[in-house]
Formats: sequence, structure tokens, C-alpha cells
Amino acid sequence: MSKEFICSSCNFKTQYHYFGKKPPFVKSLVMMEDAYIMKDPFSSEGGIIPLGSHCTICGKSVCLSLECSIFYTKRFCVHCVKENISEFPLEIQTEVMKKKNK
Amino acid sequence: MPKEKKRQRSPESSYRHHKHKKRRSSDERRQDDCRGRKHDNHKSNEPRVNISESKEYFEHPRADYSEKSGCKDGARISVEERNGSKVAAEADNSDKRMYNEEEEESEVDVNFDFTKYKQSLNRIFFRESDLLKRGSDNYNDFWTFLVKYQDFQRKRAGRKESTHTKLKLPESKFGLPRNYDTCYRLNTSVISKDVEIFLKKGRLIDAEVDKELTRARVRQFQNIFLHYIDFAHKQKFAKLKKIRQDQENLPIFQYKSIIVEKIKEHQVVVVAGDTGCGKSTQVPQYLLQAGFENIACTQPRRIACISLSKRVGYETLNEYGSEVAYQVRFERTRTKSTKILFLTEGLLLRQMTSDPLLTMYNVIVIDEVHERHIHTDFLLGVLKCLLHHRKDLKVVLMSATININLFSHYFDDAPVVKVPGRLYPIQLEYCPIKRGEQNSRSDRLDPSPYLQIMQKINHKYPPSERGDLLIFLSGMSEIMAVVEAARMLAQKTKQWIVMPLHGALSVEEQDKIFDIAPEGVRKCIVSTNIAETSVTIDGVRFIVDSGKVKEMSFDPKYKMQRLQEFWISRASGEQRKGRAGRTGPGVCYRLYDESDYEAFQEYTTPEIQRVPLDSLVLQMIAMGLPDARKFPFLEPPSLQSIENSITFLKDQGALTGQETLTPIGEMLSRLPVDVVIGKMLIMGSIFHMIDPVLSIAAAMSVQSPFTSRAHTDHDAVAARKPLESEHGDPFTLLNAFDEWIKVKADGHGTRKWCKRRGLEEQRFYEMVKLKKQFKELLQDHGLLDKIVEDQQYLTSEERRQKHGERKKLGELRKEKAKESRKRKFLKLEEDDYEVSDGEADDQESDVKDLEFRLSHNLNKLQETANKSRNFTLRDINLLKIILCSGLYPHVAIADDCNSYKRDSEQAFHTKSKPFLLLHPTGVFASHPELLQPTEDFNSMSGPSATSELKGRSSSKHELLAYVSLLETNKPYLMNTMRVPAMQTVTLFSNYLDTSGNCTRIVCDGWLEIQFVQEESAEHVISSVIQLRATWQNLIRLRLQDTFQTSEKEKKINPRALKLENVLAKKLTEFLSSDVQYTIRRILAAEIQHLYIGPDRKADNMDNKTDDEQEKEVHISKITVRGKPHPVKGGIQINEYLTHNCLLDDSTASVWGEYTVCMQRHWTCPRCKTSMIVSYAERLQHESDCQAQNITATKEEETVERQEELHTQLNQFRKSYHCDICDKTLTLTTTEILKHKKTHIT
Ligand SMILES: [Zn+2]
Ligand SMILES: [Zn+2]
Repeated sequence: MSKEFICSSCNFKTQYHYFGKKPPFVKSLVMMEDAYIMKDPFSSEGGIIPLGSHCTICGKSVCLSLECSIFYTKRFCVHCVKENISEFPLEIQTEVMKKKNK
Repeated sequence: MPKEKKRQRSPESSYRHHKHKKRRSSDERRQDDCRGRKHDNHKSNEPRVNISESKEYFEHPRADYSEKSGCKDGARISVEERNGSKVAAEADNSDKRMYNEEEEESEVDVNFDFTKYKQSLNRIFFRESDLLKRGSDNYNDFWTFLVKYQDFQRKRAGRKESTHTKLKLPESKFGLPRNYDTCYRLNTSVISKDVEIFLKKGRLIDAEVDKELTRARVRQFQNIFLHYIDFAHKQKFAKLKKIRQDQENLPIFQYKSIIVEKIKEHQVVVVAGDTGCGKSTQVPQYLLQAGFENIACTQPRRIACISLSKRVGYETLNEYGSEVAYQVRFERTRTKSTKILFLTEGLLLRQMTSDPLLTMYNVIVIDEVHERHIHTDFLLGVLKCLLHHRKDLKVVLMSATININLFSHYFDDAPVVKVPGRLYPIQLEYCPIKRGEQNSRSDRLDPSPYLQIMQKINHKYPPSERGDLLIFLSGMSEIMAVVEAARMLAQKTKQWIVMPLHGALSVEEQDKIFDIAPEGVRKCIVSTNIAETSVTIDGVRFIVDSGKVKEMSFDPKYKMQRLQEFWISRASGEQRKGRAGRTGPGVCYRLYDESDYEAFQEYTTPEIQRVPLDSLVLQMIAMGLPDARKFPFLEPPSLQSIENSITFLKDQGALTGQETLTPIGEMLSRLPVDVVIGKMLIMGSIFHMIDPVLSIAAAMSVQSPFTSRAHTDHDAVAARKPLESEHGDPFTLLNAFDEWIKVKADGHGTRKWCKRRGLEEQRFYEMVKLKKQFKELLQDHGLLDKIVEDQQYLTSEERRQKHGERKKLGELRKEKAKESRKRKFLKLEEDDYEVSDGEADDQESDVKDLEFRLSHNLNKLQETANKSRNFTLRDINLLKIILCSGLYPHVAIADDCNSYKRDSEQAFHTKSKPFLLLHPTGVFASHPELLQPTEDFNSMSGPSATSELKGRSSSKHELLAYVSLLETNKPYLMNTMRVPAMQTVTLFSNYLDTSGNCTRIVCDGWLEIQFVQEESAEHVISSVIQLRATWQNLIRLRLQDTFQTSEKEKKINPRALKLENVLAKKLTEFLSSDVQYTIRRILAAEIQHLYIGPDRKADNMDNKTDDEQEKEVHISKITVRGKPHPVKGGIQINEYLTHNCLLDDSTASVWGEYTVCMQRHWTCPRCKTSMIVSYAERLQHESDCQAQNITATKEEETVERQEELHTQLNQFRKSYHCDICDKTLTLTTTEILKHKKTHIT
């Protein structure tokens, strides 16, 4: 039975097959963070889909959709980005602010 | 990036606009899938990686999968840098290092064309990569991505980019690089030895690389590659998330826990919800998630099984697994790990013959029960019984919100979970047509009320408010009347595009209704009730409901189908209305009064009460339900209908008098085809005429390839002329099919060929498929040998061609996938509408064409097709007999007065229904002269028509065999062929009643044959006895083989082979015999004076006491089992033959009496016994003796052995032509030498 990944922000739930940096399903790929990985169900040619990871600051599991987290050399949940907005470069600041307005 | 925003606005808004027009909610799309529309939606809608969207990846950072706005030029991260585990610490370093590199190396050349160096780049990047395999779809997508990415980079480079200077900022507390770079946002990296080596050394160790590829450029390339990987990941993640979101947005999602709860608590649950609520796709998944396994979900339509299995497989992320599978008549994807299986109702029923308790399933979901198909109703009845034996079995019925209580009550008030559909409010308006307004020409529909509503819509609703119109009419001619008038209106107003929708349209024509009308123009779709449930069209806002439907009803008395116009049911009325509220609020105009509506029948009559029950009854008996009359139907069919079917099955030889299965009945019950078709197939395989029979059987099982245009378009009629067969419609179909294969094999395009002839190509593809399936079926049941297709030898040229075809197919499929994602846009034309992109149709058919070419050996197909084209008359006659073995008693005789009548009034009579006409689509309707047989040599000279032969003797009398009867405005014979009269009737009649000397035979009580000569009559009756006995025994032997040796190696009994030879030879002889006879129809009034009856003594034999009879029998050494027929009188020789039961007509009387009693010397042709017997005794012996020909007589055995020996000897002989004696001799090698010596001396 495969294990389940849940995003603490959007509640998205799905099975995952591996957690870590070196998914065994694809040899020539490494993750830059410890990530939840699913084998790609949409292809018969192998491949993976990274689902999400843990926020560097608060440690919650978050999916990689933009509503829930961003990756900037590390994973940050959107909540933590907002809390520490000044620590991020301008590009990310504007991006997050725009989202707020939405 | 505020200043970029303006630039982006326009493409984005135009995209939205575009999107709005083709917007369909995902569950509607899903619904289409379930409805069985032919396109394979989910794949094209959710493409693997949709490069066309990659533009958004660069340009719309808002999009979920596209947070990037391009990589800053020159930025790159090497593998080593990105690879470390202490990413955070190193990120900072890499930042610094990048600066250094940027100083070292020149600006990256955005104009560098990587595609020119594919080969070298392949060597560096894709030699060993398991991420992108060279030549794979992903690989190709990557290159597309690269081009777009570089385009984007160039645009960015054009603008002055580095406005914000790279200031050295204080370090972030999380160790984040202050200078933004999109590369920091990639969470994956790639390991590749080749790339590593190249970046270190500037070259590869084992391969040459183009000089232009500097380290910097390779880094640049790697960067793009990483962005591609990231893009693909994001997109796939978005896809995952969308699946979940769509599921949660379905109305049924709110009821998930209630449904699961109810199913756990009760054995039977009804889930009722309207179209679009998601029940078909979601309920099976809910069951799976609740821990149920072995879930069977039935569907009334095959195509729905396939599309639902794909859809549910996709949604449960099992697209490439087999956890979700389907199984339909001839196809399956089911494996051991399958947990949800979609299958047809028919198949589930069939599975019950081998697994009566359906132990392989724990849950059975029956979908669309409200449609009330015959199999649905039957299945419900069977399950009702099964539930008592399987307390652990769960049954879920899924229905639209129609008549839910009926189902609930049937299963002891099973709980109902009602899911509201997604329906917008619909304004209802009754606009009854006043009688006075009706056009005087009552046979044609008056279109004006429909036009008035169109004008009303024009006035009331501004063209800017979109929304199409759907008109429900009863039938084709009504549709044509309204379409014609509406197009006139459309021409004036330029506000409408009018198109018909009905079952006889070609697939392409049908598909056009899904295309989109231009701004300010509405579609007006004029449809039969096909748009009520089977075809779902989005964007309909207005409905006009005529309240009428034409339905095929079945008249069991004449076995005739009847197309009649009825008022619809209230349920249908509501269904039609509902079609207006699928995408927004709508309006429904009913062209009848509210009081009419109140008077409508509440629900549509279920199929089981409308159609013949032959197959159903047969299947019930095969399943061990011996008495259909007692079956607990949901709503029972009429008892008469059941009785008719039982009689029909007995007549067809499928049931015995005790209503048990005969061997042929048993075989028929296993073949999932119509009884008539099944019989043809069995006979075809027994007589080794299988290929043409397969073609014709397939043609009879699909819709006619002749489109509605085919019979009105003069060019098409002319172009089709060479395909017409003088023998009749089944042969014309065969010709058309063969010719189609031939055109394909010649390498020509068949699409245009079909179009020119008014043929629907799709039907031919269906026929090919069906033929293959029939064949496999016969092979599986041991009726056909499985011939291992010899490994096809291909020349290198052919192989190259195949390869090319395969490649092209791949390309076309991809094109098509892209194409079907888009709806086509309709254009308003001068007098008609036109689809703006006609190429898609071509593509569609090209794909089919190539698929066909690749999966079939065309040469072989053509070979068999050629074979049928070279038929001799003998072959054709045999073929006709085989077809008749299934079709009989579907035969009709020409009216006596036909020769004085116009073509369209040629009348024919069947046993039960007089005065039937030739349907105008048939060959004979346009060529009635074909029904006037060529003159006999022996008979009198002068012109003769079939009818003129009345009372005249000929050997050429013919009957019309037909596939079905159809009553529209007149009763018609459908799909006719001409068959030799005497031979057909004597071979297939259930009852042959003869006069004393057999010169007069009454067949099945309605056709009388009178032979001119007594001798030929004797010969005929003897042939009939032999043929019918051999036929029966052969079938028995062959079926024995198939039933008994199922595990052992299947081998045809040598005796069967022998009988086959005898039968083929004898049958040919019989068919070509030129016996002179007359044939006529016995009128109803004559019947009571036809038979002698039980009271009157007709035969001398009956006058004798039992003692005397016994004595006589003893003398002639015949056991006369024959007893007087209880009703007809005479002696019943066997199950079909009754001798001397006819009241003689006055002239033959004396002669008849005399011959009957006369005992003559006779030698049995089979056992060679000589005896002195009366006519009746002779018939009795012959019938009994031939019935035993299932085994060989001693004499036959000796002959056979000798023959065998002879052929063995002949193995060593070869054909030798001697020039000197100018003779061809069959000699062994030594004999040849001896022969040569004779000339030397
Ligand atoms: Zn999330
Ligand atoms: Zn956080």
C-alpha cells in the first residue's frame, strides 16, 4: 500500500511512492530538497512527479503549487514567506503581494 | 515587471476569449465520454505535456505551473554546484561563483540555434538519460520547448533587462541569494557523466562534438533542459490537482459518504441523479476507496465501457495499470489485479452461464437502469433471484431521476440516494399548433410553427447573447422539411446555421453539430430523439419540442418491424426540456397543449415490451431458466410475445418440442449474435464458405453503409451501379465491401471513393472489425480452424513502406490529438454553412486508413475478396442456401399480377403478410426486371415474368428471401435476394406434406409445388431426405466435436469431412437440377380443404389391421414407425415429412390412389438393400437409413479405404506430359522411365 501525502495548506491528498532526494525510479535526477515523489501515472515511459516537501521554517508539509509554497533554493510555505517577506528578493516579494491582492 | 504587463494583456485576453467559447466543464466532458461519443476525450484534453501552454510558463507567472518569467541571461548552475546535499550553504557560494563566471565568459548568445546541433547534444545529454529517451514524445516536446524558450529569451534580450542593478545586498537570514535568478527556483537537478565530463574538459572522451558547442553553450543548454524538466513536473502536478478538484466539484461528491454508508448497510441501493452529476465515474471509485474489490459496473453500450474504464483509470491514476479495466464482447483489458471492471450487461449475463452465482464479483453496479434496455431489465430480474443465494453481494442501481420508485420497490424498497443534477432554471412555454393552421398537405410536416419560434428568438434575444436552438422532431422526413424551410430563413437573416441530426447521418456529419457558430449566429439543430439522451450538445439554450417520436415497434404476428409516430412520454418531455438548462438558464417551447402533456404516458415503454424476445428466451433456457413465462420481470412482456419467440426458436431448430436446447440451439446460445446471423455463421463454417458469409453477416449486423444521400443523389447512384448485384442486396453489400478492400489494396484513398458513391466508410471499418470478431468466435467454438497466419515475408521495400506508414501514423495521431482539443469554428456561407477546417476529417480518416493498413494483411484480404468476385453461379447458389438456412422462413413469393404493375407496385406475399413492397433502397426496386428469370430451354417460348410462370412449369422459379420487414407508410421487404424456389423451400420448410406419389408438395402450409413428372418428384424427395439427414448429422458431428474435445486437441471428425463432401456434392447437384415444376401460394380459404385429416382413410395401409401391418412390415424388413398425422392424416414419416396427407385434386385422384398402393421393386441408394415396398414404406426406409449416415456403411468403409490407399500411392506419382503420345499421365518416377522406354523400342 502506498503512503499518503497531504498538503497542510490546501488539503490536497494523494499517494506517494518515495520521500527524499534521490528517487530510485529515475536514475539521472536528484532533488534539491527532501521531496514527496510519485511515479508518473500519466506516462508509460517512467518519470516522476514531485508532489511537495516540508517548509524550511515551520516544517509543515506543503504541496508545490504556488498557492501553497515557493521554492527558492529551499522550500517555504506561503505563510512563512509572508511572515518573512523582507528576506526575499524583490521579484518574489511582488509575486507574493500580487497573490495577496487576488 | 509592470511594464511587461501591457504587452502580455492582449494575448492573454484573446486566449480567455477563445477559452470562453469552447469552455465546457470537465464533468460535461466526462459525460460525453460516457455517452460514447467517439472521440477519446480525456487524453486529448489532458495531454502529457502540452507545449502549446509552455508560452504561459514563460509569460504568465500567475499560472499555477508557471511561476517563472524566464531565466536571466547568462545565469547557470553547474551540476556539481547543484548536486550537494548542503544546498543551503552552497547556494550562497554558487551565487558568488556565478559572478565570477559571468565575468569570465561572454554574454550568452540567445540567437544560437541548438537545433542545428542535435546530434552532438544527443551525445552529451541523451545517450544514457532515463529522463528523456531519444525519439520519445517527451524528447520531441523538449525540442519544441527549447525553441519557444529561446524565442522568449530573445524577446527579453531586446528589452533592456538589467534595470535593477546587481547590488551587493546584505545576506538574508535564511542564506538566500539576494540577486534573483529563476534558476534558484528549480528544485531538481540532473546527473549525467557525459555532461560533467564535457563541462570539465570541453570535450567528450569517446565521441566527437561540434566545435560550436562551447562549454558556455552546453551550460546554457543544460539550463534550458532543467527548466523543461521543472516545467513538465509542474504541469503534471497541476494535472493531478485538477483531477482532484474536478472530482470534488461534482454534485455527487457531497453524497460520497452517504452513498458508501448505505451500501455498507443494505444489499441493494439505488443512486438516482441526472446527467452530469458524476455518478458513472465516481460511484465505482467511492466503492474502491471504501475497500470493496471485484466491482463490476455494467453499461448498456460497449463504447461507454471503454471510455468509462479509461476515464476512471485516469482519475484513479491507473491509466497504465489494469486495476480499472473493461471487458466487452470481443475485447478486454482485464487482468488478475483488476478491481473495477466495466462490462456490458450482455456480457455479465453470459458470464452467468459458467459462473451462475457470479462469485467473481462482490459488488455489481448497474448503470443507466432507467433506459430500460432489454438486457437491463433481464439482468435486474436475474439479480433479484441471485440476491437470495448471495447474501454477501452488493448491488447498486444507477438511474436518472426517472421512475425511481419502480426500481426501489422491485428490490423490496431499497434505499434511494438522490443526487440533484446541475440544472439551470428553464422557462416553459406551451405553444400548441392549432388545427386550422395546419397545412392542407397533411402528409408533410408544416414547418411554419418552427420558423415562428426562430423569429421569436431573433426578436426577443439580442444576438450577442449566445445560445443555440435544438428542435426535437419525430423522424427524417420531418427533419428535412424543417431544415429546408429554416435554411431559407437563415439565408435572409444571417443569424442561423441550420443542421440536421439523426442516426442515418455519417459520423463526420454528425460531428459537425459540436462545432461552434460564429459571433452573432446561433446553431439550429434539428434532431430526432437521438439528442434526448445519447448525444449531448453543449451551449443549447432554446428547445422546441414537437412532442412526437417515431419508434420502431414490433408486430409479433408478422414478425414485422413498424416505424410509427407516437406522442412522447412525460419523462421524455422533461428530458427534452432539460437539455436547455445544461450551461445556463434556458427556454423550452412545447408545440402542444398542457392538457396534451398531462395525457401523455408517464414513461416510455420499455424495450422488452417492444422487441422480439428470441435471443432472450434462448439465453434464459441456456442459463437454466427453463420457463420464460414464469420469470419475475420488472415489467413483464406480453405472454404472446414469449410464446411467439418459443415457436420461432422451435422453427429454427434451436429448441426441441420440450423446449430444451438442440445442439444448434446450444451453439446459438453461446454466440452473442442474433439467431439468424448465428445460424448463417454456423452453416457458413460447415460448408467452408466462411469468408463471404462473414462479410454478409457483418454487413447485416452494422448500419447500412448506404447513407441517406446514396439513394437520392444521381451521381452517387450512377457511380455505385457497378457494385449492384443482380442477386440482391446482401450480394451488393458484399460487392461494395470487396471493392472497398480492393481500392485500399491498390493503394488508393478510399475516403473519396466512398464519398462519391454515397457510402459511409466508417461502416466498412466496423464490418472489418466485426468479421474478425465473428471469425474468432467461430474459432473459439471449434467451428473454424485456427490458422496461424504464416509469418509474412516482406521485401526490404515493403518493410520500408511499413515503417514509413507507422511513422506517419504516429505523426497523424499527434496532429489529431491536437486538433480534437480545439473545436472547429463554423462559417456562415451564402447558402449553406461550411466547416472552416475540412482537413480534420481527412486526418481522421487518414489515421483510420493507416491503422487499417498496418493491422491487416491487405494482400490476403484482397485475395479473399477476389475469390468472392470470381464466384460461379454454383458458388452463389450455395451461398444463397447458407444464407437461407438462417433467414428461412423469411421468404416471399411474387404476386400473380406483378407483370401488369408499375415498378413501385410490385407486390410480394409472405406466409402471414400479403402485399409487401420492395423497399426503394433495394436493388430490385430499381431493377425489377431482374426478378423476371431467363427462359428455360425446355419451357414454352415468349416473354415470361416470375408471375407469368404462374401455372406454368419451369425449373427457374424464384422466391425473395429477405432479412426483415419494415412498415413505414407502407409495408416493405428489406434486404432481399432471389433464391431458387423449390430447393429453398424443400430444404428448409419445417413441414413438407406430400401427395401419394409426391408430385404435389405443400411446404409449411402455404406454398404448393407441383412436379410435372413423377420420376423427378421421386428424385427430388429422395434428394431432400438425403440432404436433410446428412445436413443434420454433419451438424451433430461438428457440434459434438466442439463440445467434447474442448481441452483435447480439436480435430474434425473424419466422418464429418466425408459427410461434408457428400453434402457439398449432392447439394450442388440438387441446386442445379432442372426439374420442372409449378409453384403457387395457397390461399387461406383453401387450407380447410387441403388435408385428408385424421378421420379419413387415405392409404391402404391404414385399412389393414395392426396385425396385417406388422406382417407386411416384417416381409419388407422395414420398421414403420410412422403413425398417421393427428391433424393432417397420412403417414408421418419423420419430423418434417408427412406422406399422402393431401386431398388430391380431382385430376390426379385415380392415378394417385393407384400408385400409392402399388408395391414396387426398389434398391436403397445407401444400404443397397433391395426390397419390394410401397411408396410410404420406401420413404420410411430411406428416411431411417439416411438418418444413420452419421456412421459409414461397410461398403462405404471399403470404398473409403481403397480411396485412401489410392491417394497414398498417388503421392509418389507426378503429372508427366509425354510429347510423343501428347498425353498427360500420372506416373511414378519408375513408371515414367518405363513409359519412355516404350517409345524407344
Ligand atoms: Zn497545497
Ligand atoms: Zn512554513
